[in-house]
Amino acid sequence: MASVVKSALKAIRERGVGTFLRELKEEGYAKCLLDGNLLQTKIHNIGARLVGVDKFGNKYYERLEDTQYGRHRWIEYAEKDRYNASQVPPEWHGWLHFITDHTGDELLMLKPKRYGIEHKQNFSGEGDEYIYHSKGHALNPGKRDWTRYQPWQPTKA
Amino acid sequence: MGMGLLASRAMRPTASSLLNSQNPRSLFFLGRAVSSTPELQNPEQSAAAQAQPEPTPDLPPRTPVAGARVHFPKLEDAIEVFVDGYPVKIPKGMTVLQACEVAGVDIPRFCYHSRLSIAGNCRMCLVEVEKSPKPVASCAMPALPGMKIKTDTPLAKKAREGVMEFLLMNHPLDCPICDQGGECDLQDQSMAFGSDRGRFTEMKRSVVDKNLGPLVKTVMTRCIQCTRCVRFATEVAGVEDLGMLGRGSGEEIGTYVEKLMTSELSGNVIDICPVGALTSKPFAFKARNWELKGTESIDVTDAVGSNIRIDSRGPEVMRIVPRLNEDINEEWISDKTRFCYDGLKRQRLNDPMIRGADGRFKPVSWRDALAVVAEIAHQVKPEEIVGIAGQLSDAESMMALKDFLNKLGSNNVWCERNGMFADADLRSGYLMNTSIAELEKADVFLLVGTQPRVEAAMVNARIRKTVRATHAKVGYVGPPADLNYDHQHLGTGPQTLVEIAEGRHFFSSALLNAKNPVIIVGAGLFNRKDKDTIFSSVETIAKKANVVRSDWNGLNVLLLSAAQAAALDLGLVPESEKCLESAKFIYLMGSDDANLEKIPDDAFVVYQGHHGDQSVYRANVILPASAFSEKEGTYENTEGCTQQTMPAVPTVGDARDDWKIIRALSEVAGVRLPYDTIGAIRSRIKTVAPNLLHVDEREPATFSTSLKPQSTHEMSSEPFATAVENFYMTDSITRASKIMAQCSALLLKK
Amino acid sequence: MTTLQRSVWDLNLNLDFGRDLATSLSWDWNWFFKMLARLAAGRLLEIRQAFRQPSRSFSTALNYHLDSPDNKPNLPWEFTNANKEKVKEILSHYPSNYKQSGIIPLLDLAQQQNGGWLPVSAMNAVAKIVEVAPIRVYEVATFYSMFNRTKVGKYHLLVCGTTPCMIRGSQEIEDALLKHLGVKRNEVTKDGLFSVGEMECMGCCVNAPMITVADYSNGSEGYTYNYYEDVSPKRVVEIVEMLRRGEKLPPGTQNPGRIRSGPEGGNTTLLTDPKPPPCRDLDAC
Repeated sequence: MASVVKSALKAIRERGVGTFLRELKEEGYAKCLLDGNLLQTKIHNIGARLVGVDKFGNKYYERLEDTQYGRHRWIEYAEKDRYNASQVPPEWHGWLHFITDHTGDELLMLKPKRYGIEHKQNFSGEGDEYIYHSKGHALNPGKRDWTRYQPWQPTKA
Repeated sequence: MGMGLLASRAMRPTASSLLNSQNPRSLFFLGRAVSSTPELQNPEQSAAAQAQPEPTPDLPPRTPVAGARVHFPKLEDAIEVFVDGYPVKIPKGMTVLQACEVAGVDIPRFCYHSRLSIAGNCRMCLVEVEKSPKPVASCAMPALPGMKIKTDTPLAKKAREGVMEFLLMNHPLDCPICDQGGECDLQDQSMAFGSDRGRFTEMKRSVVDKNLGPLVKTVMTRCIQCTRCVRFATEVAGVEDLGMLGRGSGEEIGTYVEKLMTSELSGNVIDICPVGALTSKPFAFKARNWELKGTESIDVTDAVGSNIRIDSRGPEVMRIVPRLNEDINEEWISDKTRFCYDGLKRQRLNDPMIRGADGRFKPVSWRDALAVVAEIAHQVKPEEIVGIAGQLSDAESMMALKDFLNKLGSNNVWCERNGMFADADLRSGYLMNTSIAELEKADVFLLVGTQPRVEAAMVNARIRKTVRATHAKVGYVGPPADLNYDHQHLGTGPQTLVEIAEGRHFFSSALLNAKNPVIIVGAGLFNRKDKDTIFSSVETIAKKANVVRSDWNGLNVLLLSAAQAAALDLGLVPESEKCLESAKFIYLMGSDDANLEKIPDDAFVVYQGHHGDQSVYRANVILPASAFSEKEGTYENTEGCTQQTMPAVPTVGDARDDWKIIRALSEVAGVRLPYDTIGAIRSRIKTVAPNLLHVDEREPATFSTSLKPQSTHEMSSEPFATAVENFYMTDSITRASKIMAQCSALLLKK
Repeated sequence: MTTLQRSVWDLNLNLDFGRDLATSLSWDWNWFFKMLARLAAGRLLEIRQAFRQPSRSFSTALNYHLDSPDNKPNLPWEFTNANKEKVKEILSHYPSNYKQSGIIPLLDLAQQQNGGWLPVSAMNAVAKIVEVAPIRVYEVATFYSMFNRTKVGKYHLLVCGTTPCMIRGSQEIEDALLKHLGVKRNEVTKDGLFSVGEMECMGCCVNAPMITVADYSNGSEGYTYNYYEDVSPKRVVEIVEMLRRGEKLPPGTQNPGRIRSGPEGGNTTLLTDPKPPPCRDLDAC
């Protein structure tokens, strides 16, 4: 704890109070007060090794000593208010879940050039446009016509 | 014990006489074998069985594969073989594979097909035979007395596994995108008999796909060279176009010179192909076979009444495949039957419509439409009312139509193909009395004004089978035709008939010398004015050649459409021949081929049917009805066999069953018909034509045609006309079908 | 032995050792993975090589017909009058209801008449004579590699490629021929004189390697089909040049030291009359 206070004071001294507060806010320390998960992560981060940062700004930490085995890798999401696991891009997924020891930066080269698409987080439940409507649903824009026959049209008089 | 059972099955007099009464042709697949407790009826047999030195106590009783049944032409020709130690009595000349089938062992096979010649080139049916140094290809090996066949020894299993590995060597692993997936013999048998790995690591071969026309899709890389399609085309379809080209790993099925398969039976190669090399083009990538619901039904596109299975998914008919019926279609169906189904989805009438004052049709409610029809029906005189049933009408609706018009006071009702001069008095005068299956016994055919190849493809297949097997002679009178067997074109018109009848023609001696002569008269003659005279000269020929005997009736009429036989059985015959010209109210029940130009301009025409085909353009009111795939209906085929269709899919839109519409209309018109259910209407049919209730039974005609009064008409010298111009488009369903249109554009091009 | 085979063999050997001598030899995982990698790499190379070849070279042509100006089903084709007599003679060998037995000799006759190859119309003509569907004739013609369904030269040189000849260098002979004539396999030289094909064993293995010269230059009357055995890359070129000049050359072995299939330099065995087989003395009975 003492080291935290020490580093905080050092930062204030170097960059001034205003910058320090803004950074505090940007880094999500303000949110920590309301979000226990974030607070837990922030406490966890102390003394941990920052392994990498992905293109979305998610930070990946690892700490091998003094942690329970299996909880020694974690992520601090770039998004501070609505974060979820689908924000992890595939190249980091393996590292984060102990599937591989290669970090995402190393695995990025495996991404297929020709047909690999950009990672997109899952927006399920985030509004009508992200809700799946089945093929026959009225809200499905490409609503399918289930009529399987073609009626005779009385064209000729 | 097993030996005693089998022996008594063959020897017991009751059983053998029962078996002997069967047709020798129906060696297999007739039904379950007779099972009984022989020990009770035949004590000395079972005692003998117990005294057998080598009893096989732990063998479970076996039932023949697919109800295979044995017929012994001569009892002394029976031989005994042992299949896995299980003794079985079979007639001489059976193959090892057939013996195994009788013994209840299903041998895997690809090239062997019970209706085709034996090729013996897939080697999948290898079994071990005692004292034989090598495994034996059971499909090509005749069973010999005392042969000890072993089907589940390590040697046999290893042999099959090896053959399977060879077959899969060059077979692509594209099951997920293959239309045969799920009903593929190679898939099933590699699961059952194959190894779990292959040792082939080289490149697989690939073969250029062939173009066989708009019906059959080819992916020749999948072919395993079983040559079933080659043999089918040569033997059954009668188009020698396919062959096995090349040798070794370069071997492939093809036509060498690019050529479409112009056969009316070509669709059957799809069923016959054990892999996905030949699949249905219209069905390609449409559905998986396990998604489909099968409904056992009857084909109505011709008068044969082929047994079919309608495979549907939800409200949609996805495909039509044949069902086994030895007496009618064996296991083939014509291309028209198989591929007409897309016509069921096009040009459908789904709402009642009334033609307004501006000449345009307007959808209305059933209540309004029926009210209008009932009102008009009451405004005209009874004799000005005319009803015409269509080619696809079922017996129930024709009964309802006839009853309805009779109640209105008119008796001018008929079925369109039967024509105005139809004669329903003698049933033998309009049926195929020999029956389709019995045609195989004939040795001389005389085809009068009929081209079975286009009128009834399955009957033609039987004639071809007979001609191939027994070299039966075929004489043909009619317009030049392309029959796919050897035939003599005797003439084109009635004049030739007179010559044959008077014995002046060279063919009359062939008829006289024949043991089982068959005369087939086309129903296309029904529309001729001198029909009776032609029939009487045919009868003269029949009498001279002794065609009709107590044990043989060779005088046949080949009908053209599914409704004809039932219509004549129900007595749908017009009262006056001129009624159409003076009609004021015409009720067309699915009739699209009636003489529309004869209908007077001021007549009120009601069209009740399922397709906007030809007659709707003349109609004043349209009442939508259901098609054969959507209703339960009784049909009688050309040989007098009654069969029923079953609803496979729901009707479209607001359409209703034909008989229900007429029943509702009768109520609105104030002449209520006394039946509310299909059961009630059938009991009404029972009073008119009880044979229409005996489903799947062939009711032979009782009286011969000799009772007929002599005709006074003058015979015209006008040659016989072609009854069916276009094989692929004969009725409203096939005319609506895109596939059929493609076929007639591509395949009928000369 | 390819890399693949060798490594598989190695693996098997090693597995056996591993099983039997588990105590004395420790299983080296590192080596195992390296070997697997080598195996995979070797396989990859093989696949690549298989793909690199544009197509497999078969000794026979395509199994289907492609229309060309000189090979179309509607071109007229008929046996010459002299050959019509031969056709009759050939058909007289077979019962009248088994005319199709004559397909092979008739196709051969047609091929000789047509300068060494069979157009579709010739096959159709044969089908008509033996009264079968044309496809039955196509089946026979595609089955036998000695029926040429594409144009060949007046001298069709066939190099035996079966094992004994292959071991004795048939590949070099074919290469020499192709290089000398400047064509690919189954291709005709510009002057229409030569073409080179491959065939299977002709039974001259004792004099391997060998080539066959099918000589269509004189029509079906002067048609010859001669074997030239014991050839060398140099000798085949000489043979080609002699054929080009129209010279006669003796068929059979091209090694002057040999007589037919006999060994070089005279017989070494069977120098005396063989002893007769032991027989029963009939008089003694």
